[in-house]
Amino acid sequence: MAGEHYVVIGNGPAGNEAADVLRAGAPDARVTIISDEFFPYYYRHRLRDFIVGGCEEGDLVVRAPSHYREHDIRLRLGQKVTRVEPASQTLFLAHMEKIQYTKLLICCGGMPRVPEVHYTYRQHLSVLSTLRHARMLRARMPDLRRVVMCGGDMISFRVATTLAAVGKEVVFLIDEEAFWPLELTDDLRAEFSSALGRKGIEVREGDALTGVDAVGDDRYVARTRGGAAIDCDLVGAFFGFVPAIEFLRRSGLDIERGLLVNERLQTSQQGVYAAGDCAEIYRPDLRNYWVSIGWPNALQLGALAARNMLGEAVDAGGPAESVFEVEGVRVNTSWWREF
Amino acid sequence: MSGTTGPTSSDVVIKICGAAGDGSIAAGQILNLAAAGMGYHVMNFDSFPAEIRGFGKSVAHSRISVERVLTPGTMADCLVALDDPHSITELASLRENGIVIYDSKPADYHEEEQAVAGWLQPGMIGYGVPLRELSTEATKGAKSRNIVALGVISKLFGLDADGFRWAIGKRFGGKSETVRETNVTAFNLGWEYAARELDKADPIDFGNVALARVENVSIVSGNEAAAQGCIDAGLRLYAGYPITPATKIMEVLGKKLPAMGGVVVQTEDEISAIGHVVGGGFAGKRCATATSGPGLCLMVECINLGVMAEVPAVVIDCQRGGPSTGLPTKTEQSDLNIAIFGASGESPRPVLAPTNVEECYSLVLKAFEVADAFQTPVIVLLDFFLSSRMEDVVWSREAADRFGAYEDCLATPTPEPYARYAITETGVSPRAYPGMPELVHPITGLEHDEHGLPNYSGPVHTRMQQKRQRKLDTLLARWPAPEVIGPHGELAVGIVSWGSTVGAAKNAIKRLSRSGMKAGGIFPRLMWPLAGDALREFSARCGTLLVAETNSSGQYAALVEQATHRDVLRVCEAAAMPLPTAAIEAAAAKAHG
Repeated sequence: MAGEHYVVIGNGPAGNEAADVLRAGAPDARVTIISDEFFPYYYRHRLRDFIVGGCEEGDLVVRAPSHYREHDIRLRLGQKVTRVEPASQTLFLAHMEKIQYTKLLICCGGMPRVPEVHYTYRQHLSVLSTLRHARMLRARMPDLRRVVMCGGDMISFRVATTLAAVGKEVVFLIDEEAFWPLELTDDLRAEFSSALGRKGIEVREGDALTGVDAVGDDRYVARTRGGAAIDCDLVGAFFGFVPAIEFLRRSGLDIERGLLVNERLQTSQQGVYAAGDCAEIYRPDLRNYWVSIGWPNALQLGALAARNMLGEAVDAGGPAESVFEVEGVRVNTSWWREF
Repeated sequence: MSGTTGPTSSDVVIKICGAAGDGSIAAGQILNLAAAGMGYHVMNFDSFPAEIRGFGKSVAHSRISVERVLTPGTMADCLVALDDPHSITELASLRENGIVIYDSKPADYHEEEQAVAGWLQPGMIGYGVPLRELSTEATKGAKSRNIVALGVISKLFGLDADGFRWAIGKRFGGKSETVRETNVTAFNLGWEYAARELDKADPIDFGNVALARVENVSIVSGNEAAAQGCIDAGLRLYAGYPITPATKIMEVLGKKLPAMGGVVVQTEDEISAIGHVVGGGFAGKRCATATSGPGLCLMVECINLGVMAEVPAVVIDCQRGGPSTGLPTKTEQSDLNIAIFGASGESPRPVLAPTNVEECYSLVLKAFEVADAFQTPVIVLLDFFLSSRMEDVVWSREAADRFGAYEDCLATPTPEPYARYAITETGVSPRAYPGMPELVHPITGLEHDEHGLPNYSGPVHTRMQQKRQRKLDTLLARWPAPEVIGPHGELAVGIVSWGSTVGAAKNAIKRLSRSGMKAGGIFPRLMWPLAGDALREFSARCGTLLVAETNSSGQYAALVEQATHRDVLRVCEAAAMPLPTAAIEAAAAKAHG
């Protein structure tokens, strides 16, 4: 097809913000969003409410299809990019379709991280990062009596309190990997433990998951380093996220833990940009890369990447402050230096 | 569904699109049978190319609902794409929030313009399924992609999987056990893939609740129903020349009729066919032919002979777009004028028009009775839409009697010379078959006297013409009053329609009534003689009288205007497709302000 074609991989805040900026800045160009999720752009932070019936799927939707129709943005949901070939400016989709792009923005986010030590029983671990995960958890909610949670990232604390609030028995294993990849100081860990304890959550500090045995339909025994064997209905793994960029491994793009981009969010390949949780952004003053997290940062960086794709030269600068708070415990979580 | 708000759990339109030979029609048949077996109502309207089989696009179009389906619906809720390039053009008839099931692992790469997934609009939901891969796993080839897709539909929409397995067994009943098993495997693989991999993002959910299970349900087309009506009426001779969309009638009769002692003759052309039929009718046997517009043109002369000689015959006209060869695989209701008036001179004969598949059975069966009782050719008007569409049907001879019961008037020998065309009050003269002792009589296409002898005098012609017309008056008096729906008393809008368009008209009345308008309808099945009194009575109650039909000039509208002495609002479209409910609804709403 003739004309400019801006393609955005990822249907989260960064991708959608970028698509809007691209549309406004290039009225005659084609703008396409591709996402391997079937669902429209939704509020991920509300998933914990959704799993306990605090809201319905419709309440999660950020944008109705009419927005895309009105702005002439092509939305390809449930379609997975399997390969990017920057030299020919071509995307390859899982359903054997090739798409030519003029410029490409990758903001495909992250996926739940499960440390290798847990690989042997990961099929018994539940995670929560997408609506698909949330649906599965919600479907099981009526039969959940006791939940064991391990790890301890930002989501986990909120999920734990949400489950406790609806009467579920929650056992929380917080070890040295908790709140990964930030280092949780002893003081902060104590504060979190205390806050969670006040909500009726049983916190086992310093204990860690060492095994999970399935003992029946949706019934498990969680074994811990401390020697406990806990009967439960669900084991939740909350060890943060890793960039969902496996499909880019053969693309020639520079990748470390995430997709490396310069301060203008351009990757090592001409015409290819990245933003959001999947990118590591170079910061000249630190001479190092940083990773943004959080919705506001994603919106900001998505817009910025789009402006640069349209020909501007805007630096990302440092991230805005974003404070994470659980039960009065506050941590600045706006960025960190590695995954 | 035909509504404007999107799919519901109880009313869904599913299209299965592929290249000819991809099995889209077969998949549609299984879907229909499965859904009907679950107790849902089904209407199916397939489209396929006019050209040689193996080329072009085939689309199975099924509407499944908990309520009796009146129209196939213009917009689809779900499109199954068995072939991407062909399916892209079908997206135009998919609603904004529609669903597309496509092959996520085709054999080769598509360029962007060639992949149906690339054409999905915001709001549409695409489910990529490795149809080819799963098909190969099940049947060692790609030919069961259609069955894999049915498994996906079953799981996604909550349609009972066992119902599909039963329908697959029925569909492949004549095949080997291996064929049945591998197709069930293909279905299962699709179902399991959907359960495992697809995140349901659409609202369609039948809830896996089968209604009262119907094991003996028939899913038949209008043509198949018409053929069954012929058989149950005691047809002895079918003579015909193949023509789209009527051929199926001959195909069905060709299989069934000989086993019942009847005869099917494929003649050299339509003139010969109607000649056989009139000849057989003269001999006292029930005979029929089926054709389409171009064939009816050729038959007119011999139909006139039947009228003049007062010979029973049944002619089924499956209308299609014209004139000439026209649009062989597109629907139109444009043969009404030729059916009623096509003649040299004045040639009064009854014309019937069923409005749904069940009536194709009932009215064809009844046409034989009328033909015998009134000693005349009877024309039954189907059209491509009605001939080809399939519905779940329960029929019986008894149910057909709602259109009246008509008996032969046979002659018995008397001392007087036999008057084959005796003048009677009803117009019907006692009839004799050739070879009946003491009832010998001549038969001719010339005007004749009461004994059948040629006579061209003015008074004889007048009397005979009046007698032939009087038979129709008698029929009109005996035929039940036309169906009238809607509230009593004054109506803001009254809708008159006929044949296959009645479903859309009834739908429109439903919607207009829901919006607060006083709307009603009158739907004759006896097109000729015209039910003038009933039309006038209905017209008198209507602010606006609207006539809906699928032809461009308004052939029935003209008759209604003549009968009611008023202008009518014509919703007449010859757009090569069934008249949409929305067109009638919009015209009525506009007329009423």
